[in-house]
Amino acid sequence: METGIRVLLLTAVLMTLPGCASVRNWFHHRSEVRQQKAEAKEEAAQQDAQAAAADADATPPRVVDPEVERRKIKVPHIRSSNIEIGINDGFISIEDFGTNNAYGLTAAYHITEDFFFQGEYGRAYAGRTSFETLGGNIQLLTSAERQFTYYDISLGYNFLPGETFIGRGHALTTAFYFLGGIGATKFAGDDRFTVNFGGGYRVLPSDWLAIHIQVQDRVFRTDLLGVSKLTNNMEASLGATVFF
Amino acid sequence: MFRLPLAGLLLSLVLLAAPAVSSAREHLQVYITAPYLELRSGPGRGYPVFHVAERDESVQVLFRRTDWFKVRTERGVEGWAAQRDMLRTVLADGTPFKFDLGDRAGFTSHNFEMGIFAGEYSGSTLVSTYASYSLNSQLAVELSVGEFFGKYSNGVVGDLGLTHVLVPEWRFSPFLMLGTGLVHVTPKATLVIPSDRTDQTAYVGGGVRYYLTRRFFVRAEYKSHVVFTKRNANEEVDEWKLGFAFFF
Repeated sequence: METGIRVLLLTAVLMTLPGCASVRNWFHHRSEVRQQKAEAKEEAAQQDAQAAAADADATPPRVVDPEVERRKIKVPHIRSSNIEIGINDGFISIEDFGTNNAYGLTAAYHITEDFFFQGEYGRAYAGRTSFETLGGNIQLLTSAERQFTYYDISLGYNFLPGETFIGRGHALTTAFYFLGGIGATKFAGDDRFTVNFGGGYRVLPSDWLAIHIQVQDRVFRTDLLGVSKLTNNMEASLGATVFF
Repeated sequence: MFRLPLAGLLLSLVLLAAPAVSSAREHLQVYITAPYLELRSGPGRGYPVFHVAERDESVQVLFRRTDWFKVRTERGVEGWAAQRDMLRTVLADGTPFKFDLGDRAGFTSHNFEMGIFAGEYSGSTLVSTYASYSLNSQLAVELSVGEFFGKYSNGVVGDLGLTHVLVPEWRFSPFLMLGTGLVHVTPKATLVIPSDRTDQTAYVGGGVRYYLTRRFFVRAEYKSHVVFTKRNANEEVDEWKLGFAFFF
């Protein structure tokens, strides 16, 4: 344990050395910049004075002094609209526990036209296994344990961009996308590492609104029914998101 | 029971926010210096070109999505123009239209960074995400949260610290980390002492980042944590992880 702390302190000291090199500049840099600005101003003033003196010598005083002011252009901030937030509702087939309603929240950040990161959080309520249904009064899980919650962070890839047409006058942009990521599932009183992958179809009725149809498989290992096995939990959902 | 009202509430929030997004505001006007400017129907190279604006015409820049700009021509046609085409437009005073390109230069110096990781925390599988804010091109404040799934316990970790990139210009650039955090461990119920515990930690670490393309980079890192437990001896925990990140 002491070695750990010693290593910690030593590394801390080592880290601050190069770190200081960059931090130090904050204070010094500011005074340097100020000094440079002052010098530049002085120089400009001197040059102006010289130019004025030269002008006075060379040209006679003007009758009309044109006052042309250059229009200064203020560049307005260009809004970025890369964030997508929304809700979805659908079904999830929880392995051994039947198909159940699932709903959730999604948030995505579009990094390039091809790639985006997406985070999801969802809930479902697991039904009864065949064993429970056939066995009468047997309950494998309590009501609280049947609550199935999951989250994931995925990387998405857009492919097959296109347009879909409604009547003669309307074209909506669309795209298919792949999703793959990692996350966790809380089910039957335990948190499990979960891998998710799937895909979806996105239709944009306007620049700020998107409708999603998404299918994903959530895979995690569980030993709930005696043997340790990988379970596949397919989810299909319909969602709406808003771009910000 | 509360599901429907909750969904309704969220939906109404979303709908409330919508008009704010599309509300009118002052837009930047730029002039085309290239022979023409192609407008596409969507923000991507796969969407078709449906309109072309000519040289010396002006367009209003409405907003931006990834590397595409939504613009409106003088005739009121709205479409998406690519970033590389917008580089060949000028402002009303003739100066070039400049904007954040999201390229290698951005990798060297940027404001924000975010990423996701998969890895190992003390032998357990770890899922983690981080966000950082750069104070300058070398020093950044970083917040990371993660969840780990072990054989005997699960838990969540949260770290706050400083990251120091040694040579930001390098494509393959190493960095050092130092900080503090919290770890919350939930032992699995089958164990003898099934009580949760939260402990403070301190960590040092290092890693490398490798610029891939556009705004993307790969990041691999190692952290050595000291967990200040309430028992006699402190614990030492190793954390390894590998992931994707992007800057903006």
